[in-house]
Amino acid sequence: MFGKVQAVSDLSFKVQPGRVTGFLGPNGSGKTTTLRCLLGLVQPTSGSARVGEHDYRELSHPATVVGAALEASGFHPGRTARGHLQVITDAAALPAARADEVLALVGLTEAAGRKVGGFSLGMRQRLALAAALVGDPGVLILDEPANGLDPEGIAWLRSFLRARAQEGRTVLVSSHVLSEVQQTVDDVVIISKGKLIQTGTLDELTGTGISKVRVRTPKAEVLRLALTAVTEHDIESSIEIVSENEILVIGIEAAKIGHIALREHVELHELTPVGNDLEALFLDLTAGGNPGGAA
Amino acid sequence: MALVRSEFRKVTTTKVLLWLTIATVAFSALNVVLLVFLTPRAMDASTDVNFLLDPAYVTNILGAAGSSSIFILILGIIGMTGEYRHMTITSTFLVTPKRPRVLIAKGIAYALLGAALGLIAFASSFVVTLIALSREAHAPIDAIIALQILGGVVLAFAIYAIVGVSVGALIRIQVAAVVGALVWVLIFEALITVFVDWIGKWLPGGALDAVLQTTNVTGRGGEDILPTAAGVIVLIGYAVLFGTLASLTTLRRDIT
Repeated sequence: MFGKVQAVSDLSFKVQPGRVTGFLGPNGSGKTTTLRCLLGLVQPTSGSARVGEHDYRELSHPATVVGAALEASGFHPGRTARGHLQVITDAAALPAARADEVLALVGLTEAAGRKVGGFSLGMRQRLALAAALVGDPGVLILDEPANGLDPEGIAWLRSFLRARAQEGRTVLVSSHVLSEVQQTVDDVVIISKGKLIQTGTLDELTGTGISKVRVRTPKAEVLRLALTAVTEHDIESSIEIVSENEILVIGIEAAKIGHIALREHVELHELTPVGNDLEALFLDLTAGGNPGGAA
Repeated sequence: MALVRSEFRKVTTTKVLLWLTIATVAFSALNVVLLVFLTPRAMDASTDVNFLLDPAYVTNILGAAGSSSIFILILGIIGMTGEYRHMTITSTFLVTPKRPRVLIAKGIAYALLGAALGLIAFASSFVVTLIALSREAHAPIDAIIALQILGGVVLAFAIYAIVGVSVGALIRIQVAAVVGALVWVLIFEALITVFVDWIGKWLPGGALDAVLQTTNVTGRGGEDILPTAAGVIVLIGYAVLFGTLASLTTLRRDIT
């Protein structure tokens, strides 16, 4: 099963089951509108948004097909977490006991009987996830689920989404901060100004960059000279001297630097791939999308 | 039926039903007290009239529950507008993307709630009437009339609750819908009736009076109201009219 989206301006992409797909773009780039079109909440001015083969509005049991967590504010403050979910289980003709099952899944069992008005933003995000899972759907659509989560919460979300994807579900996660979902997503769909900028696996995206390695050594000058022998033949590689005992090697992989260092009997104190600056790459890709929007 | 059950769950998991039930019970009782004790009586030195000896007046007291109808209207309005206010409409429409179904389910659920509250309101005013009249000279209480009034209150409240839901669907901003409805029923209808007297009975409050067959709501006299059956039809007509208008307009709007 896969979800296919056509919205905003001829925006079209596929989302694969069993994988977590990041739906990325700066604020105001049309992510939320796209998702809401797909879910029948917003009427596209032309064309259609479909989930699999069907218009969402034509699904007879949508909660069992697509689960969505759109925003953390859609709760009645006086209703308990369990009550909120049972309103949904009732409407979806699911057993009321399902509410407690999904609360356990998101770690809110102890807060089940508490009013949502007293919930932190992180707890609301978890409750929204629980609501999305009520119908045990094959597709999960989550709009900025990491918003308002502390680092611990983000780590939890990461493993949670990973687990849902491993169950074979299709997971689509929107975010305006790539670094937030970078360690979570397998595939990325990047949009800007309502248009598709790039789509593919995260590895493909990172593969477009060149490796950078930070090296700390007391014999920086010796190593630099040894590495220069390599960089001379490769215009894409270079060496930056950061300080007396630290250099930044661009275009040579860490293993190869280590090998050269061993050959030259250079003692290493640090050999760290700094990787591509994905965030910078993301900003480059979406540049011009929304001035100042990519916070 | 799943959707109706969900609507019952929504209304029973918040406090608004409790408060409006209390208001209905209290207001129905209060009206009886006012009608019984603030009326000219024989034991009053200044008058030799005793309203309590007039069977029509006793009927009026029994119908005091009808004055709580405004709370039922508000219950329906809050039931619908609350979804927009708290943005629970998002999850409601996610589970039920065919939106008119939500409106219909709400109408059914609130009609049943209205009927139940009608029963409670009548019970409240009836019990207080019996207590208040127990130590007074009064015209006898006619059981048939009492049952007719009970039927009228239950039916009126059931339909009025649907009107509230429909109004709430049309005017999605809670404060605007509640204030607008109160101003309409309590002020505007009474005013317009003063200037164009034939129109009042065709308006929602007038139709409600016809179902209740009392003069409590807008102070209209007995001759100026429609027959009960016509009142039922006109009131249902308003509920359907507002609901249909909402389905064609506000209910279709994007949820963002």
